Amino acid sequence: MATLVKMPKLGLTMTEGTIVKWLKKEGETVEKGEPLLEILTDKATLEEESPASGILKKVLYQEGAVVGIGKTIAVIAKEDEDIAGLDLEGEYDTPPSEKGKNAAGIQNKGEKKPVTASDRVKASPAAKRRAREEGIDIGQVQGTGPGGRIIEQDIIDFVKSAKTKVSPTAEKIAVSKGIDVKEIVPEKGIRVMKEDVLKAVGRGKKTPLSGMRKIIADKMVLSKNTIPHYYVSMDVDMTEAVRLRENINGFLKDSDIKLSYNDILIKASSLAIREFPVVNSYVDGEAVVFKEEINIGIAVALEDGLIVPVIKNADKKGLKQIAFEREQLIEKARTNKLLPDEFSGGSFTISSLGMFGVDRFTAIINHPETAILAVGRIKKQPVVEEDNIVIRPIMNLTLSADHRVIDGALAAAFLNKIKEYLENPFLQLMEG
Amino acid sequence: MAQITYIQALRDGIREEMQRDENVFIMGEDVGLYGGAFKVTQGLLDEFGEERVRDTPISEAAIAGLAVGAALTGMRPIAEIMFFDFTTLTMDQIINQAAKIRYMFGGKAKVPMVLRAPMGCGTGAAAQHSQSLVALFAHIPGLKVVMPSTPYDVKGLIKSAIRDDNPVIFAEHKLLYWTKGEVPEGDYIVPLGEADIKRKGKDVTVIAGSIMVPRALEAAGILEKEGIDVEVVDPRTLVPLDEDTIMESVIKTGRVLIVEDDCRNNGWGAEVAARIAGGEAFDYLDAPIMRLAGLDIPIPYNPKLEKKAVPQVEDIVDGIKQVLL
Repeated sequence: MATLVKMPKLGLTMTEGTIVKWLKKEGETVEKGEPLLEILTDKATLEEESPASGILKKVLYQEGAVVGIGKTIAVIAKEDEDIAGLDLEGEYDTPPSEKGKNAAGIQNKGEKKPVTASDRVKASPAAKRRAREEGIDIGQVQGTGPGGRIIEQDIIDFVKSAKTKVSPTAEKIAVSKGIDVKEIVPEKGIRVMKEDVLKAVGRGKKTPLSGMRKIIADKMVLSKNTIPHYYVSMDVDMTEAVRLRENINGFLKDSDIKLSYNDILIKASSLAIREFPVVNSYVDGEAVVFKEEINIGIAVALEDGLIVPVIKNADKKGLKQIAFEREQLIEKARTNKLLPDEFSGGSFTISSLGMFGVDRFTAIINHPETAILAVGRIKKQPVVEEDNIVIRPIMNLTLSADHRVIDGALAAAFLNKIKEYLENPFLQLMEG
Repeated sequence: MAQITYIQALRDGIREEMQRDENVFIMGEDVGLYGGAFKVTQGLLDEFGEERVRDTPISEAAIAGLAVGAALTGMRPIAEIMFFDFTTLTMDQIINQAAKIRYMFGGKAKVPMVLRAPMGCGTGAAAQHSQSLVALFAHIPGLKVVMPSTPYDVKGLIKSAIRDDNPVIFAEHKLLYWTKGEVPEGDYIVPLGEADIKRKGKDVTVIAGSIMVPRALEAAGILEKEGIDVEVVDPRTLVPLDEDTIMESVIKTGRVLIVEDDCRNNGWGAEVAARIAGGEAFDYLDAPIMRLAGLDIPIPYNPKLEKKAVPQVEDIVDGIKQVLL
């Protein structure tokens, strides 16, 4: 019995995945559980394991294809098994990118769609053959033959015009400067000249958004475009938190674990969320979905991007446990070893730039969450206390909230709750 | 190399074969003393005598029947029919006997005969003396059909036809008789079933036979000045047909015009067109296959109308331009 490999759903909000790389070729043997392919989701690139043992008989989508979840992407079957009879029609909507090859070479048993006159492109057999060889969609070509018929020359011209024309000098400079000439639009005419390349050098090298950068870009745009952000800011007196941290680290000095302000923030936020369950929700179309677990994400800067590992059920964990998990997760994040489970399912994200000397900033909500906390540095400041000016360690918190579900007063109350837990950290001990 | 006429080349071919093989003989109306209506056999009577150059009564049926019988006994007859139109009178002998005998006797009997006749219009000979009926014979299994267009080809092909062990219909064109061309002296043959590219070109393939070959070449010369590069393919024999050469040419140019010296309806051009469309050249076609043939009418006596009835050079020029549209 053949096994159909489907595009898996690897995250709450995932609707489609990009096939980055097939780790097995058609005709190769695969074992169940062995890595089969790499899939780029809206969060990261992940390895997908083979759901069955056998021969990878058919790959329906080539590398680079974007496929909706649940769609069949490959067929695994026994060596001698005939898969020609499998009805895969409609399973793939973009044909494999391989030039000219019959899509998958599998017989489609389903009924064929009747061809209507308007579906037909008027083209000579030679034009059709040429289009097939060049791998171009003949529908995009303008015909110059009688009655608008597409002739072979039209295909040749189309292919030529599709290729960027570059002067030899321009090409040389582009190569030496590491610039992709295809990215350059010539100022005059259709040929990329030396001047065009030199201008492009001035603009700097272009690097296409790809991989993690692309994911971050897409997510940020999605968040800013769909979530009506607003911001609530508050200064927190960290005197007690500083004392707590120093004390605990004193007790932990022989262990590998060190308590950070982030750990205290994680605990404080998770406890505050308990009292404001709407913060622990996400908008799904017209509905608000409330989550069960309180999972706090911490934004971790990487060399070439950013990832948000998640501490699950933070409200139910002690500070030592949180510190331990946080250290583990950050280490994994920096060595690119996080598992999908470890960076998905978050409720609320904490982004801290204090260590970079930032006093205050605003953050973009980590879609599909409803709020994010931007944390500045702890800085000694003069504070008025009962008509006296005293010096206190002050930290700014700025909450970005989704106004669809969190109103201003609620955000203020929620932020106040966090502030309460930070200024009176012993309150954290009462919960668990 | 000597420039000689089509008639001379044809006569040389017949003479050489008669010298080579004493079983070869020629017969027909006035082929002896008179030298034939178009003087193809002139001088042969003196050289080979009455036994081998035989005048016959005015009966095409008798000529054809005699040829079939003689061929069956081991002779190699060449039967001249004065006008190709009169081959209709030979139909029973040719179609029902000559074409069938070898098959029906399981290969034990063969009919090595040549039926040759001048065909085509352009001489003001009216409807009953101007037809080019090669397609009639090309339709019949068991017959080979040849239509040479140059002095070189006519000599090489008549030799192949005479040496062939099957009945061959040999269609000469009246207007080609006095055309001249280079012909080497002595023995050479042009095999049956080998087309000839009369002019190389890359823009369009013109498949022309018989009198249409020189007309297509003239048209190609005119179009060359306009930057159009025409390839002219002469099938030379309709049966067997050299499909390979035709396909190769069409694959090269992607466009094809077939020019026939006969009316269009069910002509040999339709057969060639069907083979191209149904063969490997299909995927290289960049325009519909076009046929240029005579009108579907009897050939008129009036010389102006007669000219209009079959493709002329200017018609071929127009036809090529249409294919290139």
